[in-house]
Formats: sequence, structure tokens, C-alpha cells
Amino acid sequence: MVAVTAGDWFSTPENYVFLAIALPLVFAGWRVVTSSNVVHAVLYLVGALGGSAALFLLLGAEFVAWAVVLVYIGAVVVLFLFGIMITRAPIGVEVELSHPLRVRISAALVSGALFVLIAIAALTAFGSESIPEAEVTRTADIGQSIFERFVIPFEVVSVVLLAALVGGIVIARRDPSPEEIAAGKETL
Amino acid sequence: MTLADYLPIALMFVLGVGFASVAMYFSWRIAPKKPTPEKLAPYECGIVPLQEPAQRFPVKFYMVAMLFVIFDVEIIFLFAWAVRFDQFGWAGIAAVGIFVALLIETLVYVWKRGALDWNVARRARYRRVVAPERVQEEAA
Amino acid sequence: MIDYHALAPELLLAGTVLAVLTVDLLRVEKYWVAVVGLFGLFLSFIPVLTLGFCDTLTFCEDTGTRFLFGESYAVDSFSLVLKALFLGSAFVAVLLSVGYLESDRFWQGEFYFLMLSSVLGAVVMASSRDLVTIFVALELVTGPTFLMAGWRKGDPRSNEAMLKFFIIGVLSAALLLFGMSLVYGTTGELTFAGIRAEAAGIRGGDLEALFTVGVLFTLLGFAFKVSAVPFHFWTPDTYEGSPTPVTAYLSVVSKTAGFVGLLAICYLAFRDATFLWGPALWVLAAASMTVGNLAALRQTNIVRLLGYSSIAQGGFILVPFGAAVAAGVTDVQLEEAFFATVTYLLIYAFMNLGAFAVIIAGGNRLRSAEIGDWAGMFGYAPGLATMLAVFFFSLAGIPPLAGWFAKFVMFRAVLSVGGGWAAALAIIAAVNSVIAFVYYAKVVKSAFMDPAPEHVAVADLARMPTVPSLQFALVLTVAGVIVLGIFPGIIAEIGELTKTFASGF
Repeated sequence: MVAVTAGDWFSTPENYVFLAIALPLVFAGWRVVTSSNVVHAVLYLVGALGGSAALFLLLGAEFVAWAVVLVYIGAVVVLFLFGIMITRAPIGVEVELSHPLRVRISAALVSGALFVLIAIAALTAFGSESIPEAEVTRTADIGQSIFERFVIPFEVVSVVLLAALVGGIVIARRDPSPEEIAAGKETL
Repeated sequence: MTLADYLPIALMFVLGVGFASVAMYFSWRIAPKKPTPEKLAPYECGIVPLQEPAQRFPVKFYMVAMLFVIFDVEIIFLFAWAVRFDQFGWAGIAAVGIFVALLIETLVYVWKRGALDWNVARRARYRRVVAPERVQEEAA
Repeated sequence: MIDYHALAPELLLAGTVLAVLTVDLLRVEKYWVAVVGLFGLFLSFIPVLTLGFCDTLTFCEDTGTRFLFGESYAVDSFSLVLKALFLGSAFVAVLLSVGYLESDRFWQGEFYFLMLSSVLGAVVMASSRDLVTIFVALELVTGPTFLMAGWRKGDPRSNEAMLKFFIIGVLSAALLLFGMSLVYGTTGELTFAGIRAEAAGIRGGDLEALFTVGVLFTLLGFAFKVSAVPFHFWTPDTYEGSPTPVTAYLSVVSKTAGFVGLLAICYLAFRDATFLWGPALWVLAAASMTVGNLAALRQTNIVRLLGYSSIAQGGFILVPFGAAVAAGVTDVQLEEAFFATVTYLLIYAFMNLGAFAVIIAGGNRLRSAEIGDWAGMFGYAPGLATMLAVFFFSLAGIPPLAGWFAKFVMFRAVLSVGGGWAAALAIIAAVNSVIAFVYYAKVVKSAFMDPAPEHVAVADLARMPTVPSLQFALVLTVAGVIVLGIFPGIIAEIGELTKTFASGF
């Protein structure tokens, strides 16, 4: 935990890497919510997630970074695209999404105030600290804490996944007709 | 392991992006450009679409995607276990065993409920045409 | 070495969850699924008892509070009482669902599977003593309920119920997680005991502002879960649109799980930060009681009425938390407040499940949830009308029904703290008890004294039987409400047990 002065900032290479990741990340995040084309928004989301994965790498959190790549970019975005495709939402430009000005202004005020509040709190808390030159957290260490201390949440997660899938299938599928049930064909 | 170890990956990334952008730049420079609204529409290449593309994709796509996400998450957790499984011993194997058992139950459920079954209707028609005697047997 | 006796309820319940899904896939009559589920719930109740009465059993090695996996999982009297509450409520909720699902619904096996998974989450939650476990468990409690709320797929109101619940639920989970991450970031600890130890050093330092934001966001996440005003907007629509047994489940098990999280977080992790959560929960308690009761006065749909009533009851349950607003509140007073909340939750489970059982039984006959159609029920279904009176008067807090003791303990906790703010909260609660009595009594009066409306075929309704499973549920809850009301010593005894609990105090 070293106090940072301006001179330090420019002499630390990590900071340039951080900028190179963070600026595109902010831009991508901005475009996610401002694109009027849903598919473009999802592609910007991929960029934003990739940026956050890179930030995790910068912090030495390898496992989290690859989890973001595998799960979010690999799977969740695919789910998003399927979601867009199977619903009847038009795939092109979307103009009807905008709320009236009154709502937008109050939303902007609230989120702006919240942002300022949290940013000030975060700056007072950690503003004077720099990323320590710590070792990268190995995946094996994560495994160790999962299997020695967080066994219960780990097993609970598998039940959550199972429940989500079963429920998802029930909601997504057509109800069998009474005749099909009577004929024992509910499993079809 | 420090940041410097990621240098090859970063280089690879820069090279990849660079190659793609150079290629795209030149094709954009060289190709003639005569855009029309039809050409800009998604899924089309200059032909005016006769109707909105497919009223609705079959929900099966979504189920497969869902399955994919769930087993993807499973892999992440197995990865954390696999890197040092010898150290976690039998307790670790038991924990992973329960985890995998639950996910196998997922697979069994999905299978039995027919969510992996594509073309139920077409197969039924195929059976009626090709093997009518079997259909009759089943009905009896 | 893992203490398997301590984990037995969870393990048995997890086994039941798997068994239910497997039985559903076999080609058997669907009621077997419910039977397996009920049996599994009963089975997992047994180790809760053996753990609870460990000191009197010869085979059980009494080790007091059992901590597992560091300090992150505790089996103590508090968690055992709540596990018993969750398992019991789920037992009744399954009984309520049987008839309802058999009447006209598909996918019955999956329904019980989801309900039991959700209960498993609640049971794990009662023992959670760190942020990761409590969050994952809370997700398991709420995840399946989203899907259960939309079970009537053909009904647009059910779809609306599911969608609203889902979006608000996801939002609240995100807020909760954000708050927890800030708490972890500022304290560097995940266990409640560790957070409490670290939080003492944060006060007055650079980290205090961020820690405060974290605490408030965490509370906010739970406020959505317990549908405290002003985070209650999803509640009436979701309660009305969901299948009624699901509504019963949501208003008891899911809500209690939210309160358990709040209890654990406030009294264990942020125990020394009463100046933060005291005022916040004071406001939520006052607002929930007032808004819930005033809105309930105007309802014409009985399910919606109970929805607003459960918001108001949530306010009453929050009152003891709000009492911590007073400066210099002592440990003894906090213990009293803790006891009051647990007591209220126990009694609330009985009376609210009972009220929903009556509504399901009545709804089966009338095919209507309009209060006007319930008029004159005493004439053709005297038993049902009497039970309606029992549960509604219990909710209103009339002795000798159990509700009075819940309210009594609640008032005692606030008044023992003393001071202007606590007294003000007590006055608000008292005024609200009177308002609540008005709308509960209105329904009962209409069922007993008004003539049945003309379009209700009284003669047919008189002959209609109540489904056996529903009868069983009604007997269980009526017995609970009356016995606990006449012998509140039982609850007091249990409450004394929970006081000495986890002894994070």
C-alpha cells in the first residue's frame, strides 16, 4: 500500500495498460445502452465484458478473468442473441424504447447523484492506494478455498443450476394436452 | 507470474486485431460502394425480403443455449478442482461427485423430457410412412 | 472432518429434491411425487429435532453451537428453530398445492421439485454465517419462486406476476451483491464474526463512507425480498397473479428467508452499527405498516387484500429492528428485539398459511376471489367461515389467538428500549393495529352476517367437499394458532433458546 504521487503515476507501466483497457471499456459500456440496434448493443457488450476480463487479469485474478470469458462472453452472450432471435422483437433499429423526457431526466438525476456519492466514497476509501505488486492468484488457490471453505455454496450452486434448467424447460415448453397426459405421453 | 508474462498474449492480440483491420481497411478501400436499404438489412444481400424473417425461431434453440450455459458453469468449477485434485483428497471427490451427480440429473431430466429431441413431428411422419406396422403396434 | 449430523437436514432434503425429480420421470401417478416430497420434508425434520434436543439424547454428542467450514456455517438453536419453521411451512405449502395442481394443471412433478429446492435454500440460509453462503442460499430460495409464480402459463396475469417478480428480484439481487462486495472490500472479511470485528476499526476512518454505502445497499437488497415499503411495488401484482399456493409460499417461506438474512446481517455482522441500520429500518417499518394497511382497506380482491396485509405484517416484524434506533441501546434490549422478531415470524407462518388455506378452499368453491362473493359463507360452509374468522382475527392480534402474543412481544421489545423514537414507532404500530382490525373484521363480518350474493349457488356449494390435503393443512394451522395463542409459553421457551444462539451477541 504505497501512496501515489503524480510522478509515480507516469512511471508505472501498469497505469498505461489500465488506460488502454479502461477507455475502450467505458466507450463500449456507453454504446451498450445507447445503441438503437439490439444486435449492436450485444456486440458492444462483448467488448465491455472482454475489457473487464482484461482488468481482472491486470489485478492478478486469472481465474475470474477466464470465468468471465468462458461464461459471459462464451455463453451468456449466446443466450442473449438467442433471446433476441426467438422473441418477436424486430432485429433492426429500435425506436420505441425511449421513455418520455420527464422520466429520463429524473433517472439521470438519480443515477448521477448515486454515481457521485459512491465515487466520492470510493475515492476517500481507496484513492491513495495503488495496486500492490502481489502475486497472481492461482486457480489452484481458488480451488482450495472452494473445496475447503465454500463447499456448501458450491453444492448449493449446482442445485440452483438444476432448478433453473428444469423451471426454464417447463416455462419454455408447450403444455401437453389432456389427451397426451391420459395416454402417458407427457414426456414427449 | 507477473504482468510481463502476458506480453506474448498481448502481442498476439495486437497482431490479430492489426491483421483483421488491415484486411478490412483494404477491402473497404478497394470495393465499390453502392449501398441501398435492402443491402443494409440484416440476413439479406440485396434481395428485398418478402416477409419478416421467421416469425419465431423454435424455442429448442433457446433450450440448447441454456444447457450450454449450465454445463459451461460446471466446467469452470471442475477446472478449479482439477488443477489440484490430488490435494483435496476424498472430501474433494465427494464434493465434486455430488455436484456432478446433480448435473447428470439435469441431463437425465432434459433427455427424458425430450428437450434434446429435434423434429418430433417429422420423425412421427417418417414412422407413419416407412414403418406403419410399428405405429399400429404402439397404438394397440 | 465434516460433522454429518449437523448437515443431516440439508443432506436429506437435497436427497429428497433429487428423489422428487426422479419419481416424476418414472411413469407413476403424479400424487406420488407429492407424497415423496412430504415424506422427505418429514424425514429432514427428524435431524432438526435430534440436533435441537441433543443434550437429552444419549447417542448425541452435545457440543453446543456447531461451527462448520471455519465460521461460515453454524448449527445453533436459532438456525434450528428457523429450519423447523421452514420445513413445517413447506410441508403445509405442499399440502396446499396438491389439490390446486391436480385440478387443472400440468407439470406437477416439476412444481414440487422447484418448491423443495427453494426450501433447501431457506434451510441452508438459516445456518449461513458468511456473505457468500447467505447470498447463494438466497438465490436458491428466490430462483425457483420466479418460475413457480408463472406456473399458469396461459394466464396473462400469471405471466405478469412472474415477469415483475423476476425483474425486481434480479435487481434486488444485484443491489445486494453490490452492497456485499463493498462490505467485503472495506472489511476484508466474509464471515459475520470477522466483519463485526473489522467494522469496529473502520469507524471514523477513510473507509467509513464506503462501508456505509455497502451496509445500506445490503439492507436495500433484503428490503426488496421482504417487500418493505417503498420496495413493495411488485408484491400485490405478483401475489394476485401467481397460483394461490405459490402466493402462500412467497408470503411465508420466501419472506421469512428475507427476514432471516436481515436478522443475521444486522445482529451478527453489523451488530455495532445500529446507528446505521436502526434509523433505516425504523423508516421502513413505519412506512410498511402504514402504506400496507391503508392500501389493504381499499381492496376488493381477497388475495390482494392479503398481499397488502402481508406487507403490513412485514412492517410489524420490522418494528423491533427499528427500535435499535435509540442511542446507547444495550445488548439485553437487542436480544429482546431479536426474540420478538423470531417469535413474530413463527406465529406469522401459522396464521398466514392458514389464511391462505382458507382462501384456497373458498376459492375452489366460489371460483372467485372477490370479497363480495364471500358474503354469507357461514350459511353454507360454517366450518370454513369459522376458520376464516380464526385466522383473520389472529392476524389482527385478538386474544386468545396466537397473533396477540406476536404483537405483545413486539410492543414489549420496542417499549423496553424506550426513548422518543422508539415510543413514536410504538404509537405508529398501535394505530396500525387498529386500522388492520377494520379490514380483517370487515371480511369476517361479511362472511358471517351478510346474505350470500344471488349469483352464488348456495345449495351446490354446501355439498362441495374440501380436498383432504387441504383439510389436513387447515387442521395443522388452526391447531397451531389456537394452541400457541393459549399457551404462548411454548414460543417463549423456543425464543429463549434462540436468544442464547450463535452468541455473536
